[in-house]
Amino acid sequence: MSKYLMFQDFVLKDRRLLLAALADLGYTEVEEGEVLPLYGYLGDRRPETAELVVRRQHLGSASNDLGFARTPEGYVPIVSDYDQHALHGGQFLVKLRTAYSERVVEEVRRRLRGTARRTVDGSVVKITVRF
Amino acid sequence: MPEVEFTIDPETGKLELHVRGIAGPACDDVAKLARDLLGAPERELNTREYVLRPRVRPQLRARSGRRDDQWPS
Repeated sequence: MSKYLMFQDFVLKDRRLLLAALADLGYTEVEEGEVLPLYGYLGDRRPETAELVVRRQHLGSASNDLGFARTPEGYVPIVSDYDQHALHGGQFLVKLRTAYSERVVEEVRRRLRGTARRTVDGSVVKITVRF
Repeated sequence: MPEVEFTIDPETGKLELHVRGIAGPACDDVAKLARDLLGAPERELNTREYVLRPRVRPQLRARSGRRDDQWPS
């Protein structure tokens, strides 16, 4: 073993992988642009803006827009308090990170031109990429 | 064979990554690829194998002034 890295609350750096992870969670309708306004469940404009937006119509009747603001470090999710508890049983951000991680693994495998072997140990997923 | 082992915990979203089988700083290239996609890790450790340098084999060369392709077969 030569190097070990651990990522916990990592930023979502890659737009393409983020869009793919959102699609994996069922969010295929994503608005892209610059400084897009975000709206609440009553149609009220919220103070935040974002560069990627899933409109509330695609989330739930009481949901607010879900946004991702681009920063120099990567995309930062903007999720209302309500949606943090409502989406995916309150696990939205964890599930998004998991889906993003899976996409990262595939991207690393592709760039290294390697092969991937996947095993599941309890709830933990291990993917070994050989190159 | 070099490999990267990813461990994903779907209950926490935590991602761990082990780079194996690459001696020396060459494994930084793989780590950089991960950083480009994930940002700065919360923990990063270089393990014992990291400090090993790739071994360079010495090559014998003719000293008589003859070129290699002039050696008798």
